[in-house]
Amino acid sequence: MSDTLAPPRETRPAATPPPAGRFRKPNWNALLVEGRALIALAIIVVIFASLSPNFLDPSNLILMTRHVAMNAILAIGMLMVILNGGIDLSVGSTVGVTGVIAGYLLQGWDMPLTQLVAYPPVWVVIAASVLIGALVGWVNGVLVSKLNVAPFIATLGMLYVARGIALLITNGETFTKLQGEEGLGNTGFITALASAPLGIPMPVWFMVAFAVVFSLLLNRTAFGRWLYATGGNERAAELSGVPVKRVQTIVYVLSGLCAATVGLLLTADLPAATPRAGEFYELNAIAAVVIGGAALSGGRGTIRGTLIGAFVIGFLVDGLVLVGVSVFWQQVIKGAVIILAVAVDQLQQSLQKRRALRRVAAATNRPGAPRPA
Amino acid sequence: MFRKLTTAAAALVVTVGLAACGSSDSGSSSSGSAAAGGSGGGGGTIAVITVDPSNPYWKAEVDTAVAEAKKLGYETTVDAHGNDADKQNQFIDGAISKKVKAIILDPAGADESVGAVKKATDAGIPVFLVNAEIADQGIAKSQIVSNNAQGATLGAQAWVESVGEKGEYVELFGNPTDNNAQVRSDGYTEVISQYPDLKLVQKETANWDRAEGKAKMEIMLRAHPNIVGVVSGNDEMALGAIQALKDAGKLDQVKVLGFDGNQDAANAVKAGEMVATVLQPIVQGTTLAVQQADAFLKDGKTGASTEKQAIDCVLITKDNVDTLDNFVLSE
Amino acid sequence: MTQVAERPANAEPDADVVLRAVDITKTYGVTRALKGVNFDVRRGKVTVLFGENGAGKSTLMKILSGVEQPTGGVLELDGEPVVLASTNDAVARGIAIIHQELNLCPNLSVRDNIFIGRELRTRRGDVDYAREARITRELMERLEEPIHPSTLVADLRLGQQQIVEIARALAADARILIMDEPTSALSAAEVEVLFKIIDDLTADGVAIVYISHHLEEAIEVADHAVVFRDGELVADRSAEGLTLPWVVAAMVGREAEYDFTGAAREFGEVALRIEDVRVVDPDAGGRLAVDGVSIDVHAGEIVAVYGLMGAGRTELMEALSGREPIASGRAVLGSTDLAGHSIQERIALGIGLVPEDRQRDGLVQLMTVGQNLSLASLLGAVRRGFVSRKHERGGIDDQIRDVRVKTAGPEALITSLSGGNQQKVVIGKMLLTRPKVLLLDEPTRGIDVGAKGEIFSLLFREAERGLAVLYVTSEIGEALTASHRVVVMSKGRVVREFDPRTCTREEVMAAAGEAGGDVHPKEPDSE
Repeated sequence: MSDTLAPPRETRPAATPPPAGRFRKPNWNALLVEGRALIALAIIVVIFASLSPNFLDPSNLILMTRHVAMNAILAIGMLMVILNGGIDLSVGSTVGVTGVIAGYLLQGWDMPLTQLVAYPPVWVVIAASVLIGALVGWVNGVLVSKLNVAPFIATLGMLYVARGIALLITNGETFTKLQGEEGLGNTGFITALASAPLGIPMPVWFMVAFAVVFSLLLNRTAFGRWLYATGGNERAAELSGVPVKRVQTIVYVLSGLCAATVGLLLTADLPAATPRAGEFYELNAIAAVVIGGAALSGGRGTIRGTLIGAFVIGFLVDGLVLVGVSVFWQQVIKGAVIILAVAVDQLQQSLQKRRALRRVAAATNRPGAPRPA
Repeated sequence: MFRKLTTAAAALVVTVGLAACGSSDSGSSSSGSAAAGGSGGGGGTIAVITVDPSNPYWKAEVDTAVAEAKKLGYETTVDAHGNDADKQNQFIDGAISKKVKAIILDPAGADESVGAVKKATDAGIPVFLVNAEIADQGIAKSQIVSNNAQGATLGAQAWVESVGEKGEYVELFGNPTDNNAQVRSDGYTEVISQYPDLKLVQKETANWDRAEGKAKMEIMLRAHPNIVGVVSGNDEMALGAIQALKDAGKLDQVKVLGFDGNQDAANAVKAGEMVATVLQPIVQGTTLAVQQADAFLKDGKTGASTEKQAIDCVLITKDNVDTLDNFVLSE
Repeated sequence: MTQVAERPANAEPDADVVLRAVDITKTYGVTRALKGVNFDVRRGKVTVLFGENGAGKSTLMKILSGVEQPTGGVLELDGEPVVLASTNDAVARGIAIIHQELNLCPNLSVRDNIFIGRELRTRRGDVDYAREARITRELMERLEEPIHPSTLVADLRLGQQQIVEIARALAADARILIMDEPTSALSAAEVEVLFKIIDDLTADGVAIVYISHHLEEAIEVADHAVVFRDGELVADRSAEGLTLPWVVAAMVGREAEYDFTGAAREFGEVALRIEDVRVVDPDAGGRLAVDGVSIDVHAGEIVAVYGLMGAGRTELMEALSGREPIASGRAVLGSTDLAGHSIQERIALGIGLVPEDRQRDGLVQLMTVGQNLSLASLLGAVRRGFVSRKHERGGIDDQIRDVRVKTAGPEALITSLSGGNQQKVVIGKMLLTRPKVLLLDEPTRGIDVGAKGEIFSLLFREAERGLAVLYVTSEIGEALTASHRVVVMSKGRVVREFDPRTCTREEVMAAAGEAGGDVHPKEPDSE
């Protein structure tokens, strides 16, 4: 059995002399996977830019990026879960429930057992909502890691539970008095989350911040490495001393945090807290992650790819509206792009594998032994 | 109080449904729970099966049904099928096995619901439909629906008046799988098409949703910065569009029409942000259905001349918005 | 790099040859599993394939049974070239394979399993259960295992399940039956039954291709033997004169390169004390897989645990590593009782496991060599919350050098390495945690001889620095040449301990329960 065919670089002792430098370019594969999403994005931009003069208008780009940001933040959380080999179907409902909790607290909280109505300051409102989002994620995480409920089932259940809680809190209604009152000291929610410092909308700032923080988390911390390892091979990770259960719980908490952030941003953007906010958002988030080159089986995927995936979906959806494609075609096209992006990935991988095999075969398969008899 | 309402103009409700469970003894939105009940009350139990509680519209439907039934001496059970015909079937089965006296149903689909209604009727339980109809007649005891087409016409006329008869406008369309989205859209078109200088430049679906209404409006404003109006299939999408217009500083130039008459829309009309909305008198229709159920249980007749009863919608503008409270117009 | 297999003498036409592999090559990625193999299967004969793990036997079997297609070369069936595109294709031509891991559906009956995918139909088109059941009954009678056709496979013992597999092959009219490690899960009595069945089948003209790691067993059953090494067929002879030394010499190709019996024996304190440990078999509730085992391992000592499959060795290792709980007894590392400590804590305390199944439990295939190496010790490289590239890389580079991983560099994907180098990475990963005790489960499984020697040199070098090593092996030669002490386990217990300098191979094998009965009458071998 021969060893790797790759040429030795800094290795001592020297490896077997390689027959040729064929298997160089170590990151070629990774580049292609992300490159594919990038190509899709480029195609979308070129097509829409040629169809609509408004598409590349800076203010339109900012507007579309704001739309993308919501999905991108959700997708970043979803990526954590998918890297772990799981899935989080509850993020849309978490968006709803956290937004509603923020709205509820801003309208005034009827404290139980008292006649008092509390008007917590905005930072408390935000912290409470984020905590609730983390709590929802934590419950998901415990269900999956400790009770061994399949992620699909655990988070599907949570999808209903969280949505139901949002409805219970609002009794089906929409909270619209989110601006607060000076006298109560709870103003500023909308300004904090829906303003546009330096002309860039808050959701975009948040998206950038989340991307940076989660990139660092994935690439520079032990947790990030552990996450890739558990997604790649949980048993091996466990035997290497990786706290696989804790990692598994934490990814759902992170996803819950991202969803809560989106819940707050969306509520401030409308500005209204509606219990149905975020319905089906989980599907767009999953699509962004997958278009970005992540493997649903876990262990493979990047923040950068996920962001590109979110831009592909967001620019596509907005671009179709901008050029006025009919409503029904919009859905067909969106679905086709998702399928195409992922199918091309699979095709590319198997082609690469086949090509590599063929090359090796050509090198190995030389005239053999004299045929017996 | 409900009696007073019933006498008010007619109207009805539209379509899809959502249900909530709730009981209330006033027209306000307080909620409670309607427990599955035994046979405590004078008249036994009425099953209320509706769509989905998250929308105030269906919540009003449930609250009204429960309150009216209670007033007439019935216990109630409440279920919500979320427009899922299978779930609806299960609830019908449940109602049959509980031997309820009557069923008030907001059906999940015109064709899909025929079987369910027939099953209950065959089991000797009279069914009274509110808000939406089924494809067959002669099975349910009454079908009380709102006249969406008429409502859309009313709304469109008021909107044209406000916009003037000239300019570009866009339309926000409801969930395309919901028949009412089409009915309302057709109603708008019928009126507006009489004014050749009003030009529909884009029609987008926003799935009845406020956030999506806002996002779609923001993009459409890019493509068509000079529009003068927006017609929307429901209030939620209209409210999203209003927010988008506000953010773009264009609310002054653009007139928005809603539909449903929910509380937020009423506030928007009051504030002059929405030209008009159309009230579906769900409270009236539901009250009527419960009353007909009561009459039928007592003497075998609903008291209405026909099974199908369309209740006209009411236009809500700045002029009468002050009398609107939670889907109820006082006089 | 390619060598042409020497073709043994018997090159004249042979009417008995039913299946012939001509110059078969097979490559996986960068690995050449078969390098031009010529190989005959004869009617009514048992052809035994010998070779170490990774020598290419399994690959050839996969090709003969249609699971995989050769990269080059031709298969001839009855003298005609054939392409076996799938297992169904192979079965249709009368070639069936019984895998090491049984391919039965435990939730279905014996009858359903035998006819799965080839259901008999009535004229109306539905399944003819009656006829299936009748044929099943006949087959089971022929195989002298009167199992009722509607018995669930889940309710059968492993040996019986194997017989069901054979029945399935026979039901498909197999003329060529390939058996891959058929005895690995069988009791001695079941092995006897199997051999009798093999005799009957060959008498009926069925050609059998047989692979086993139990060399003695395989020699007994062989009519013809071929030996593989490094993807090539290196030797070939009839049963006459077939002896264990000949087989071993052919398999190894040279004397084992390593012999550490003379290694230093300066042991320190007891590093790991195992006291009367019991472990419940996770797969069979209630049964004890480890039943009262006590072993002391000293710093600097290398202890080999030898035994047959099912002796409880792997379960002992998993319990010590923290993956399975210890039901009773104690395992004490230095002065710390391991009870209640997680895997992570045990690694921090200084005990870690190199698992048996490298692919399943040892490696993260999507990661690079470097990331795999540093995985277990990553926290040590964390500075101010972030993994310090400098510190991580330093450890990785040192370890690549120390354990002699042949790789293009830390950035190379782990899957680009050969089995031996992958194993070095798994061991290196645990060594980076600076353990006091290293547990290894079959550390040389599936890697070539040269790499085995390197791995043991590495372990002995670490032992000289004070590491205590406890490893499980199924290879007697390995236990005797690469340990300070051999502990023999059988049926969950330690049955004896040996000093490898003074004991004989037979003593050890007898203690493991391996040489019972007359199955292994062969003379002691060399090596």
